[in-house]
Amino acid sequence: MANIKPFCMPKWGIEMTEGTIAEWMVKEGEAFAKGQLLCLIETDKITNEVEAEYDAVLKRLLTPASEEAHPVGALLAVFADADTPDAEIDAFIAAFKPAETSVAAKGGGAAPAPAPASAPAAAPATPAREPKKIVTNRAISPEALKLAEAEGVDIEPITGSGRNGRITYQDVVQALRPERAASFKGTAQLVADTPEAFASPLARRIAAQHGIALSGITGTGPRGRISKADVLALVKPTTAAPAVAFGAPFELVANEPSVQPFDKVRKVVARRLTEAKQTIPHFYLRVSASVDALMDLRKTANLVLGTKASINDYIVKAVALALVRHPDVNVQVHGDAVHSFPHADVAIAVASPKGLVTPIVRQADRMHIAQIAATTRALIDKAQAGKLGFEDMDGGTFSVSNLGMFGIEQFDAIINPPQGAILAVGGANRVAVETASGDIAFETRIQLTMSVDHRAIDGAAGAQFLQTLKGLLEAPEGLFA
Amino acid sequence: MQLSREALLRAYRQMKVIREFEERLHVDIQTGEIAGFTHLYCGQEAVAVGVCEHLSVEDKIVSTHRGHGHCLAKGCDVNGMMKEIWGSREGLCKGKGGSMHIADVDKGMLGANGIVGAGAPIAVGAGIAAKIDGKGHVAITFSGDGACNQGTTFEAMNMAVVTKAATIFVFENNHYSEHTGFEYAVGTNKDIASRAEAFGMKVWRGDGTDFFSVYETMREVLDYVRVPGNGPAAVEFDTERFFGHFEGDPQRYRGPGELDRIREMRDCLKNFRKSVIDAGLLEHADIDALDAEVLEAIEESVRQAKAADRPTAEDVLTDVYISY
Amino acid sequence: MAKMMYRDAVVSTIAEEMARDENVVCLGEDIVGGMGTPGGPEAIGGIWSTSTGLFGKFGADRVIDTPISESAIMGAAAGLALSGKRPIAELMFADFIGVSLDQIWNQLAKFRYMFGGKTKCPAVIRMAYGAGYNAAAQHSQAVHQILTGMPGLKVVMPTTPDDVKGLLRTAIRDDDPVIFLEHKALYGVKGEVSDDPDYMIPFGHARLSRAGQDVTIVSTGLLLGFCEAVADKLAAEGIGCDVIDLRTTSPLDEETILDSVEVTGRLIVVDEAPPRCSLGADICALVAEKAFASLKAPPLSVNPPHTPVPFARELETAYLPSVDKIEAAVRKVLSYR
Repeated sequence: MANIKPFCMPKWGIEMTEGTIAEWMVKEGEAFAKGQLLCLIETDKITNEVEAEYDAVLKRLLTPASEEAHPVGALLAVFADADTPDAEIDAFIAAFKPAETSVAAKGGGAAPAPAPASAPAAAPATPAREPKKIVTNRAISPEALKLAEAEGVDIEPITGSGRNGRITYQDVVQALRPERAASFKGTAQLVADTPEAFASPLARRIAAQHGIALSGITGTGPRGRISKADVLALVKPTTAAPAVAFGAPFELVANEPSVQPFDKVRKVVARRLTEAKQTIPHFYLRVSASVDALMDLRKTANLVLGTKASINDYIVKAVALALVRHPDVNVQVHGDAVHSFPHADVAIAVASPKGLVTPIVRQADRMHIAQIAATTRALIDKAQAGKLGFEDMDGGTFSVSNLGMFGIEQFDAIINPPQGAILAVGGANRVAVETASGDIAFETRIQLTMSVDHRAIDGAAGAQFLQTLKGLLEAPEGLFA
Repeated sequence: MQLSREALLRAYRQMKVIREFEERLHVDIQTGEIAGFTHLYCGQEAVAVGVCEHLSVEDKIVSTHRGHGHCLAKGCDVNGMMKEIWGSREGLCKGKGGSMHIADVDKGMLGANGIVGAGAPIAVGAGIAAKIDGKGHVAITFSGDGACNQGTTFEAMNMAVVTKAATIFVFENNHYSEHTGFEYAVGTNKDIASRAEAFGMKVWRGDGTDFFSVYETMREVLDYVRVPGNGPAAVEFDTERFFGHFEGDPQRYRGPGELDRIREMRDCLKNFRKSVIDAGLLEHADIDALDAEVLEAIEESVRQAKAADRPTAEDVLTDVYISY
Repeated sequence: MAKMMYRDAVVSTIAEEMARDENVVCLGEDIVGGMGTPGGPEAIGGIWSTSTGLFGKFGADRVIDTPISESAIMGAAAGLALSGKRPIAELMFADFIGVSLDQIWNQLAKFRYMFGGKTKCPAVIRMAYGAGYNAAAQHSQAVHQILTGMPGLKVVMPTTPDDVKGLLRTAIRDDDPVIFLEHKALYGVKGEVSDDPDYMIPFGHARLSRAGQDVTIVSTGLLLGFCEAVADKLAAEGIGCDVIDLRTTSPLDEETILDSVEVTGRLIVVDEAPPRCSLGADICALVAEKAFASLKAPPLSVNPPHTPVPFARELETAYLPSVDKIEAAVRKVLSYR
């Protein structure tokens, strides 16, 4: 596009709406320079000289000097470079739209499109149902009439709510809806202001309903007043919802987190677990074992031995024995090497105030059950007191994690490196089983899930270990062999 | 005229501060750096200073839209005022008042006022307060020949007489109410004081382009009004407005050479200089030194105003009760 | 608790505050009455008897009887407030704000803001408003809609003698200009009043005068009693109305209105001023903006028609919102489908 610029009726001051060209100082086709006088424009207040703001040629003079007034923004002439073709100037003029600079220009534009004709002609072309033409003397808005005709509403009983009783669209919508059965909630308890506390009326009512004293509450409402929310915060959650809350919109309450940075233990646990779960190729083996015999034996053995060994202590003992029988599971993994051990150092997962810790029962295979019980008890106490040292947790070949006391049936644990596997022990369940004679009997079973590091231990080796373990648990006499 | 050398120097300095403050505003308004409507007091300095040199901070004044001179004469801080007019949050009114609403209540300056004739009733209230307190303090309202035609001024004059308020109505007749001549708009024949007299007040008249005339007249007025029980008084000073009604006023209503003539013949600063030199009270050098010092002080106030903090959107919501 | 009339609550509160604080002064036309007459001062009190006995107790310096000069009264209140006093100015009829408006809205209301917060403006402007005395178009108007829209003013509209006591004391001790609108038809109403010498009702704290869960009726002043009558009638039918007495229109207790509408889902505002740009329109808009989801029916404002207040008894009665009109409005909202 060549350098084409419109020259329009300028706007000088807020009130100028039109002006007349008194005289052109430049003829069509003439070149002019910046600062040169272009024309004289008169308004009802002043006559002003218009100077060129740039060099150009007056390519087309559309409004010769005359007494005729032109609105602000009207195209008076077109300026362009000398070599601009006439066709481009013509196209520019054809496409030109004056800027709307004045109220008059806006108001004086094309007349607004006529409103849709009222009554019959306005009926939709494809109505949902056959429109029933309404002939009436009543004042009714066009949209309301259209709706009434389309829906076949009898407008005679309607009381118009519009200006001077005119029937509105809303009135017809109301007539279309079924009358509702009256159902009211009635009056409520009126609780008077008291000098002890500055509270909103609803806050007072709720406080009275729940027997909450207002005097101690710090108000967060406008001007420090006790608000509904301040009282509701003190309503015990077990209390049935007050009647007044019926139909009230659900309101979110503050749910800000309390931020607790990881302490040292948690940091280590987090890092090691993440590393373990991300770098160790875990696979899982599941088996269940009947523990009726073990539970019976435990009662007797504890009495005889004078110990308070738990089921978990027996499991640790069984695990330790099974490990020494399966040295290929009793391992640690270090880089590209597998270290297998002659004795079983069994770690037990303990929930401590500082988080999960795994102290080790060393050489558990060599301990008798009472020693295991004493050792685990000591380790657990130390863990609860937060006094476990590095030496209590370093190493180990295998871990046992037991969540049975929480009713967990089974779960998958994360291997505790450099150990080769971990056993997740679920809770005891009574289950129906088929006996050898084909009858149905009930027995107590626990679910065992072993997470295994596939880099060091293969499926078959793990399975054989579990078989041994299951055998030891189901025939617990072997634990005392 | 028995003013000490210090008093003379202070009075001249006060007038010069007002003059240069206004002349500088006139320049800076042209550049568009200062927003809004500004009405300059230039030419009337002798009135503001001749009145306020008698006052303590316990005495109150209520001013007009042409209020800079009254504010400065009553002790408002030059820098605080310049910052206010430049719209800074460090201004006397934190940029919320501007030229037409400068106030410093602690200095007894109860506000310039954008409404012509609004000040007189307020000064009646302040005068009643002074009467109740019974310590001989006064309240002064400055009104022009425009405000003297407002019904509020009439109500105020009557109420002041009825309540025996310690109020002084100072009429500064600069011959123009906005763009209309005094001789056309004030129905009483070339006189405002006689109107006040008709309300039952003792009145005085003086030359508002002569500091000494204003000062000596006000001494008498104040001696009278400070006596508890005497009630109000009025005084009319004939003076000149060197600029238009507002900045940007083309002043086409002025006569040929009028502005030059009043600047030459009716300039209170020139008159002051001539009087004190002729009487041998001050030397040219004394006054020249003050002139230089004041120019620098005004320059400094503009520097400060330009550098001062601008208000923020949050400032819109302070200093008023907004909780509805 | 003492029982006293609304007007006596006004005068006794002023007297108590004047005795407590020597900076409290009052001024207005005929607040002494009889000045300059053969009968002498207090020959006749103010026309509302809301200043009876003050002159005798506190003297001419602090009880200032003024000429009929409303601009000068309001202006003097402004000057007194700027000079460390706590003026209570009486306008006699609220309709007279027309002749004194500049001093109220360009001066009193704006000083603190225009002066950058460096001054207080502790003035109370008392005025009697409202229809009910056949006082016709220039002595019967409710003007709160004009004044409530002005930034810098607080606007108080007490309904009961106890409200007068608690709100007027708060107004006198407030450091901003307060418009105190007394309904002239309530001056003779008696009620229990707190006798605590420091009894104050905070501004922006509405009073719930009836509690119900089906419709919220917001009003204040003379019409509040009409609303209570409607609520009592509907209660017998098992329909419960929350009747909220706003007590102040600036600040407006938005919270109490919104709390109530969240329970009831229906709103009626009963307002003594004409409908356009009214308190009723404002509160309906507030609820539409902030509690739209709670609404079960369009909010409705009950106002007088858009006419001056007429004179004749029949006309004035027809002009004011009546118990019947309020009841009809409530039933209309309740029957919305």
